[in-house]
Amino acid sequence: MPEPQEAVKINKWDGAAAKNAIDDAIREVFTGDLKCKESFALIDGRLFLCALAVGVALYALLWDYLYPFPQSRLVLIICVSSYFILMGILTLYTTFKEKGIFVVAKEKVGNNNRVWEASSYVKKHDDKYNLVLVMRDGSGKSREVSVNKSFANFIDTNGAIVQNVVVNEITKLYNSLSSEKKEK
Amino acid sequence: MLDSLFDDVKRMNKRQFIYQVLSFGMIVSSALMIWKGLMVVTGSESPIVVVLSGSMEPAFHRGDLLFLTNYPEEPVRVGEIVVFKVEGRDIPIVHRVLKLHEKNNGTVKFLTKGDNNSVDDRGLYAQGQLWLTKKDVVGRARGFLPYVGMVTIYMNEYPKLKFAVLACLAIYVLVHRE
Repeated sequence: MPEPQEAVKINKWDGAAAKNAIDDAIREVFTGDLKCKESFALIDGRLFLCALAVGVALYALLWDYLYPFPQSRLVLIICVSSYFILMGILTLYTTFKEKGIFVVAKEKVGNNNRVWEASSYVKKHDDKYNLVLVMRDGSGKSREVSVNKSFANFIDTNGAIVQNVVVNEITKLYNSLSSEKKEK
Repeated sequence: MLDSLFDDVKRMNKRQFIYQVLSFGMIVSSALMIWKGLMVVTGSESPIVVVLSGSMEPAFHRGDLLFLTNYPEEPVRVGEIVVFKVEGRDIPIVHRVLKLHEKNNGTVKFLTKGDNNSVDDRGLYAQGQLWLTKKDVVGRARGFLPYVGMVTIYMNEYPKLKFAVLACLAIYVLVHRE
């Protein structure tokens, strides 16, 4: 984990870079300031699918090298079709399961296990950072809140992330979701 | 400048870095799997070739891209353009079938010649080889795209250019997130 103090310099007109930097800052808030435990199951699932696909391709390459083409036909058919099926599964996984979630944080409050999921998206050529924060408690209920703010709120003129603004923003959302729960 | 190039990479955690490497791997794998898929569909070990010489002019010129098929049930016929390998030569040759002998048991032997050459190909074949057989055939030309393959020819003539282009692409993919 990089030190939070380390000043990262990004070009805030590069939407993807700004989004990644803010995502990283928010992840740090959850694992650092809010003392949650990050759960890697979601991202590990994606890494597994990617690794499997690359593995299948490497296997096909090796097999075709050892047993030149007409012999390797059957293995190639199996590898090629499973590779493209895996690519399809990966696309479904990222669009319907991951949905841009960049951090899943687990937290134990009393005897209640709460899971926080933060996802974000940025439209092309737009300076608005959209953050969706979802909290699921142990009983399976979920609550969500979203904010839509310009990059300029989180990044100063030098292109460095203003960490305490991010901390305040996330803590505010965190508290509002947590307290909403107590009211009911 | 170079420092900022790798900033993205430096800021990544372990999983982000693994994903970065894997997505690079998937770009390469996708190209590889499309190629292998074409091999299976066309039955040819090299479904797309680039014409390297002018020996088939005016039918094909240097740099034309050829699409090949090699279905075992389709017989080779005189007048067809075949791509074949010769022992001791790395690069396959694209020439037209000139003479063909077919036996009752299905074995064939044939002789080829380039349209633009004044003599047949016996001089090009391996020492002592007079005829080509089915196992020498890489595929038969089914379609072509004129001059698209010139890029490949330039890349092969100037290997430094090829490596430079490939290295730039690889670095770009590896250091940029998303």
